[in-house]
Amino acid sequence: MASFLARRLLQSVLTLLGVLTATFFLVRLAGDPTTLLLPVEATADEVASFRTALGLDQPLLVQYMKFLAHAVEGDFGISLRQRTPALGLVLERLPATLELALTSFILGLILAFAIGLAMRLSGSARLRSAVMWIALARQAIPVFWFGLLLILLFSVTLRWLPSLGRGSVTHLILPAITLSTYELALYLRLFNSSLATEAKQDYVRTAFAKGQSRSKIVIKHMLPNALLPLVTIAGINLGLLLGGTVVTETVFSWPGVGRLIVQSVSQRDYPVIIAGVFVVCLIFMVVNLIVDLLYAYLDPRVRLA
Amino acid sequence: MMRHITFTTWLAIAMLVAVVLLVTIIPWLPDYAPYTQDLASSLLPPFDRLDNGQLSIFGTDKLGRDILSRLALAGRVSLFIGLSAVAVSMVIGVILGLVAGYFRGWTETIIMGFADLQLSVPRVLLLIAVTAILGSTVFNLTILLGLTSWVAYGRVARALSLSLREREFVLSAITQGATPAWNIRKHLLPNVLPQMVIVGSFELGQIIVLEAALSYLGLGIQPPLPSWGLMISEGQSYLEINPWLTVIPGLALFMLVAGVQFLTRSLTTEGEEERDIAVRIV
Repeated sequence: MASFLARRLLQSVLTLLGVLTATFFLVRLAGDPTTLLLPVEATADEVASFRTALGLDQPLLVQYMKFLAHAVEGDFGISLRQRTPALGLVLERLPATLELALTSFILGLILAFAIGLAMRLSGSARLRSAVMWIALARQAIPVFWFGLLLILLFSVTLRWLPSLGRGSVTHLILPAITLSTYELALYLRLFNSSLATEAKQDYVRTAFAKGQSRSKIVIKHMLPNALLPLVTIAGINLGLLLGGTVVTETVFSWPGVGRLIVQSVSQRDYPVIIAGVFVVCLIFMVVNLIVDLLYAYLDPRVRLA
Repeated sequence: MMRHITFTTWLAIAMLVAVVLLVTIIPWLPDYAPYTQDLASSLLPPFDRLDNGQLSIFGTDKLGRDILSRLALAGRVSLFIGLSAVAVSMVIGVILGLVAGYFRGWTETIIMGFADLQLSVPRVLLLIAVTAILGSTVFNLTILLGLTSWVAYGRVARALSLSLREREFVLSAITQGATPAWNIRKHLLPNVLPQMVIVGSFELGQIIVLEAALSYLGLGIQPPLPSWGLMISEGQSYLEINPWLTVIPGLALFMLVAGVQFLTRSLTTEGEEERDIAVRIV
């Protein structure tokens, strides 16, 4: 257990180091920041003093070490546009992203659990098949287009719900529907498929032969086993969702981290991009670590060696 | 045994045929003009007449460009990027996966460690960061989508080759002096290829949607070249005046992606469905 934790932590640190190294060199590859930050008419002296101020006159390796040393302290530099610390800007937007991601995640997971279980209890293969095709169809609809269709229906045509921004609960409804239906489709397909795997097992046949009721077999015997894959995938997906609401946030002008990153990209605000990517990766890794531990707790066969 | 062709299979084939006809036939029509602007007849709804009395089937955008023509050209771009990126990632993934599974040891540790590293960054975010910095030409997008998508193939190829390398035909070849390269090419590759094609067809839909999402965010295909994602994003400002600008390209995108996925789903078995679900989360 302790050694597993130590290995996973080491792996996480290495990953973060890799992410930071890749972003540092990619940004350098993109060109000299002075051409972006200084006006075109800047004199050679001004450029030189600016380069000294930013430390760009030093060897690349020294710059890299300094960048890492600052990053460890949570200092990703000053936003080139807003002139405030980049990390602060990202953390400011984090609650909005968490609100949207967690709402959609919980909604999708609960619905998938309820619908999947009800379908299995009903015992109708035809119903299951129909619902699975609907879920597959929902997965084929791109998130941003689905969001726009919802805006078209509920904001433009019916004028029931606001389409942009964050504020009251009504603002949350459309983006949450957009994301949670996608999550629902994913979890429902997974849950259904793992229930189907369990249904083929010998212990289920034996239980049926003994004359146990379907509801008892499904809930007492199949459910605990079928939940394991759901926990793993849901966990990895929660991490993805926390960073992957980028597109939905843009559609609904939701002031979260994803939208901040996209805006910073169009403004070439590199410190904010790096800080944003770093924070999202960090959250993603922490969530994955928790899921691994939870998985070992739920399934005694998994040994954390 | 002949498979019973179900309704959903027909639906998938119909959707794919419609998209293929769109991208192959429209560019040969005399009215094909994806770039010609006509401000006098901008933002026309479908089946309206242009300034010169000509019928416009899908209407026009804000610059008066013909939506049908742009839809066809965008479809070509999407399909080109999607298929090339799948090819790039499949080649990388198969080679790395087979090498990892055949040699085991530190080779495997390094390759799979790299896969884990890549999986610990959400793919959309990785693509946003990299396209932001390197710029997004069609070539860049294809290569980047390909480079970021190899893990699904790599993992499956490695898992399959772990058992293949213990099989008699591989062992017998080794005792007869076969080199690892020969063994991988002649014995492992043909045996994993069918699975790779299945992973590829699950991935194709994902990659096309990713490209559309990037273009929607303004980080993918750059104007004046059309892309379905870009057309949806341009249409968003006119949602109240002319919703068709948003609805039509989205419908084309849906028909392509759903067509590929429905068809793959009808031709594969339960176990492979789990692979599809696994592909979707990376």
